[in-house]
Amino acid sequence: MTGFIDRLYPSSKAAMVLLAIIVGIFTPGYILQYAMFPVFLLLAIMAGNGMRFFKAFLSSVGTVVLVIFLVQVFIVRYPDSAHIWAFIALSPTGLDKSLGITSRIVSSASAIMWYFQVTTPKDMVYAMEQAHLPKKVTFVIMSTIGMVPQVINRSRTIMDAQKSRGIETEGNAWARVKSFVPMLGPLIFSLIQQTEEHALALQSRAFLAPVPKTSLYRLDKHTIDRVIQVICLLLLILFIVWRVWK
Amino acid sequence: MSVISLEHVGYRYPLGHEDAVHDVSFQVEQGQVCALLGANGSGKTTICNLIRGFIPRFYRGEPTGQVQLAGRPVEQYDDAELTETIGYSFQNPFTQMSGVKDNVREEIAYALENLGIEREAMAARVDAMIDLLHLDDIADANPLELSGGQRQRVAIAAVLVTDPPIVVLDEPTSQLDPQSTEDVFNIIALLKRQGKTVILVEHKIDLVARYSDLVILMEDGRVAMSGPARRVLTDPQVLDHGGQLPEVTRFFLERNQKLGLNDPVPLSVEDAIKRYGRKGA
Repeated sequence: MTGFIDRLYPSSKAAMVLLAIIVGIFTPGYILQYAMFPVFLLLAIMAGNGMRFFKAFLSSVGTVVLVIFLVQVFIVRYPDSAHIWAFIALSPTGLDKSLGITSRIVSSASAIMWYFQVTTPKDMVYAMEQAHLPKKVTFVIMSTIGMVPQVINRSRTIMDAQKSRGIETEGNAWARVKSFVPMLGPLIFSLIQQTEEHALALQSRAFLAPVPKTSLYRLDKHTIDRVIQVICLLLLILFIVWRVWK
Repeated sequence: MSVISLEHVGYRYPLGHEDAVHDVSFQVEQGQVCALLGANGSGKTTICNLIRGFIPRFYRGEPTGQVQLAGRPVEQYDDAELTETIGYSFQNPFTQMSGVKDNVREEIAYALENLGIEREAMAARVDAMIDLLHLDDIADANPLELSGGQRQRVAIAAVLVTDPPIVVLDEPTSQLDPQSTEDVFNIIALLKRQGKTVILVEHKIDLVARYSDLVILMEDGRVAMSGPARRVLTDPQVLDHGGQLPEVTRFFLERNQKLGLNDPVPLSVEDAIKRYGRKGA
């Protein structure tokens, strides 16, 4: 990732996301909330992640939003529901509710998904460490993220070993489930077995040393980060004042 | 004063039915390379764990006897002191990576980060290790995507980067090709020249014979033979205790036996050339 967005400090991006979520949830109506999706799409495009963001959004949140919308509008019964066919009815109240719910999901999910698309776990953890979060917490976050591809590789190895012994691992869903279940035992045990030595390796590399941690990796906070954080804070205060005094 | 001293040390793992090591005593002086030899399960790694203080800090149970580092009981060292005093490279290179770094450079720096070393000093030490272990071509690669041999080299660099006076290498060449193995032994020779003390668990006996000063041969958790490498590794009794002799040593021992000679037995090819090269043995 390159460009202006990528150079922003993780906490600046987090401030933008937090503001978007709060404003999206507590602003009446739904226009602003829906408008946040194209805004975050634009920001993702600026970071060179537009297509990835769009696809990820559609494949996860898009489906959920569509289901909620259809259920609220056509299935859930309200006093003003007009019967259409069988269990399907159309309700203006349902339409209003569904727009309210889905718009808030869209705004919050857009903000959160954008953040994870344009911020690497490494940058997030670095920012957490600089914010004096305990070393063990940041380690758990990073190692969990790093563990996923390792577990996948390990399961592939076990799967290949099973395949080489003539066990059917491909075919329909039932065949896949049958081959997947016996793989869980060796997978879990091998991971547990490695944990002990991994813990020792970490201990031998001063993981438990009672001194403040430093970092070879460097991520600078620029003036623009401070400006963004201050603007976000001011906007949040103005928003709260507007919502409380309105 | 010995840098490492074990006095009548014994230990049984919490779920073990018998002692992993029993009444083990030996001393290692500063700058010596001490090879721990023996069959699998003979107690070599347990000795390393006792020296590093993993027993009883990590592995519970009550060790008997005393392990001292530079005259001080190992249990009196805290974690940071132990990391700075002993570098430990494990047998399995796949579990040695921290799992939280996405490039080799930062993986090597991990211990220094935990010790709170300043960035500039850290970068210089990491660069020195990359040069020493010839890791330039993989310096920016993800440690979790490296081969076993590459990981082993990174793990050794990650150990040496803290510049510890004592280095424990548990089968450091198990995943390496012959050239990388030779490189590791050259590093061991360098460590020795720098006055560091090395505990080496290794099965490649010809290389052990070339580089070790002291040999401890373990059998069933006990010290079967110990002493200077030249004495132990030219003694045919090593074979009775499950050990091996260097190829060249075996050749000359059999030659002496067959020809009824009592010639000195060389420990390495270089040694043989030095002794017999001109005569044409």
